[in-house]
Amino acid sequence: MNKILIANRGEIAVRIIRACREMGLSTVAVFSECDRAALHVRYADEAYAIGPSPPQDSYLRIDRIVDAARAAGADAVHPGYGFLAENESFAAAVCDAGLTFIGPTPQAVRLMGNKTAARAAASRAGLPVVPGTEAALAADAPDADVARVAASIGYPLLVKAVAGGGGKGMRTVGDPADLAGAIRAARSEAGAAFGDAAVYIERRLMRPRHVEVQLLADEHGTVVPFVERECSIQRRHQKVVEETPSVAVTPALRQNIAAQAALVAREVGYTNAGTMEFLLDEDGRSYFLEMNTRLQVEHAITEMVTGVDLVRWQIRIARGERLDLDADRMLTPVGHAIECRIYAEDPDNGFRPSPGRIHQLRAPSGPGIRDDSGATAGLDVPIFYDPMISKVMAWAEDRPIAIARMRRALAEYRIGGIKTTLPFFTWLLAQPEFLAGRFHTTYLDEVVAAREGQPFVEPPAEIEDVAAIGVALQAVLTPAAALDVDPGTRRWKAQARTEGLRSGTMGRCEA
Amino acid sequence: MLRYEVEIDGRLRQVSIQRAHGRFVATVDGRERAVDAARVDAHTWSLLIEQAGGRSVSSHEVSIIPGPVSNRFAVQVGSSPLTVSLNGRRRWDRKDEGGQPGSGPQRIVAPMSGKVVRVLVQPGEAVRARQPLVVIEAMKMENELSATHDGTVADIKVRDGQSVDAGTLLIVIV
Repeated sequence: MNKILIANRGEIAVRIIRACREMGLSTVAVFSECDRAALHVRYADEAYAIGPSPPQDSYLRIDRIVDAARAAGADAVHPGYGFLAENESFAAAVCDAGLTFIGPTPQAVRLMGNKTAARAAASRAGLPVVPGTEAALAADAPDADVARVAASIGYPLLVKAVAGGGGKGMRTVGDPADLAGAIRAARSEAGAAFGDAAVYIERRLMRPRHVEVQLLADEHGTVVPFVERECSIQRRHQKVVEETPSVAVTPALRQNIAAQAALVAREVGYTNAGTMEFLLDEDGRSYFLEMNTRLQVEHAITEMVTGVDLVRWQIRIARGERLDLDADRMLTPVGHAIECRIYAEDPDNGFRPSPGRIHQLRAPSGPGIRDDSGATAGLDVPIFYDPMISKVMAWAEDRPIAIARMRRALAEYRIGGIKTTLPFFTWLLAQPEFLAGRFHTTYLDEVVAAREGQPFVEPPAEIEDVAAIGVALQAVLTPAAALDVDPGTRRWKAQARTEGLRSGTMGRCEA
Repeated sequence: MLRYEVEIDGRLRQVSIQRAHGRFVATVDGRERAVDAARVDAHTWSLLIEQAGGRSVSSHEVSIIPGPVSNRFAVQVGSSPLTVSLNGRRRWDRKDEGGQPGSGPQRIVAPMSGKVVRVLVQPGEAVRARQPLVVIEAMKMENELSATHDGTVADIKVRDGQSVDAGTLLIVIV
């Protein structure tokens, strides 16, 4: 394997290119129209256009990506996360073209991507799963039958898309009277998002934590699970902060869920990198939730506490190499790592997307800080894709120091020209519940709702004075013309108008 | 001396800047501070601000990015993001000094999306500098937009109750 095509964009494409570079492998980028000058294109050895900016015309075009791989003479394809990463047809198309897919087999993607099949596989391996229906609800099942099934599972419950992810095609039902409507809504949303309208029912645990086990599996039967990641800080089912290890996981529970994750992986003959997600209830009982058959956004905090390069291992496993990691060490974290996903969203405006030109960008650095980003000054954050612009991570000897480091890093970060979620994280990392590790998957939505739109950072009067002095000084020292409306913004708005696009309809890839 | 009206979060500050021995004296609402300003790049300043009594000097990195509307800036001071409007253009303290930097037509635009609550002037009316012209309501706050210098109302593009986007031209003063 000498040349790898990266079928993705943004920070994850950059992340994969970095691993390839370090291994002496050539890299091939693909890009849509609006990503012509993106960082992943600039870092790659070769780059090929694959179509217009909307994802369905470029990053989701299996044919064009496979053609680019052939044209470039690539011998492997890394899908990253999101886009086609969990699409079995893509994995199959790559294999059919005689290329290596850096990920699991198409069969494993199909099996574990189907939530009811994945739950069944976990049950077969002896894992507790959240009580729910074993298969999808029949499309023509009478309401009365569905109501009986729901009553036997118990309320509150969740209606979930069989093909789901990222909170799409998912409804919480507290009252049996709302069940039929919720199923209709979930079906319609799932059909639109995944092309598969099938849904199933699962009991909703109250105030659960979300923890997950990263694993690597080679083609020779070795499975290595890693120390858990705690991902309970979510906004509308999207993770925004992850950390490892979890304050809620004892060494015994860690061994237990790691062993369970490895069991399921063996049960389905899984290979390459994957992640098993679990819910922990308030009594510390764990339930298998689902599996992600790809590298995850938050993989790098695991790298920070274990010292392992997961992407390098993905490539080595795809080359047929044997995993020779010390399994005990992978379950023994060194220190603590935490990640904040910085989004181009305006936290003080209901987290509305805030696409546009980045005029200024300075990432934090220094002890224990890692910033994985595809953004640079001069680039636009496109309206077409996930608005994540950076993953800033902090590692330290223990959790309090890691949090202090993260706060220091957030203060160093400068992103000018667009609104970002930096102020939100500055607020969150000062909350007593967060500092104490007392949270669950709905904690964030509850506290954000309770704030009723109050700004996350309210500058003291002295800081406002400094801002006023700064702007007045700049006016004194800058020719008047330079103070006029920013041309990039004007151009951006005109473009958005002509394309009839509104920021509210922006697609997000789920990861 | 140059004077400005600076608005942050609905609060107006009167700011004047005076050069003094390669540095500046900034007066905010009557409070004087010595300021040493170094420009780092197109958007970044390092300000050293002497605190009252001159006992300590605080260091601030200030980023100033032009917003979508004239004279409105996205500013970051430390971890604090602020939206800052520079209401007054440069105004010279003495009328006879310099040319007429505040002359020429004024195009009053909506600084944010909102609703026109009241238009306070008539076409043809003579207006004085800082005279309120129109009131815009956005996010439950009323914002008065004022003339930056003397002139005559040439055109009114909006009427009471009308919704406007940020950047919409409201009134022209010549």
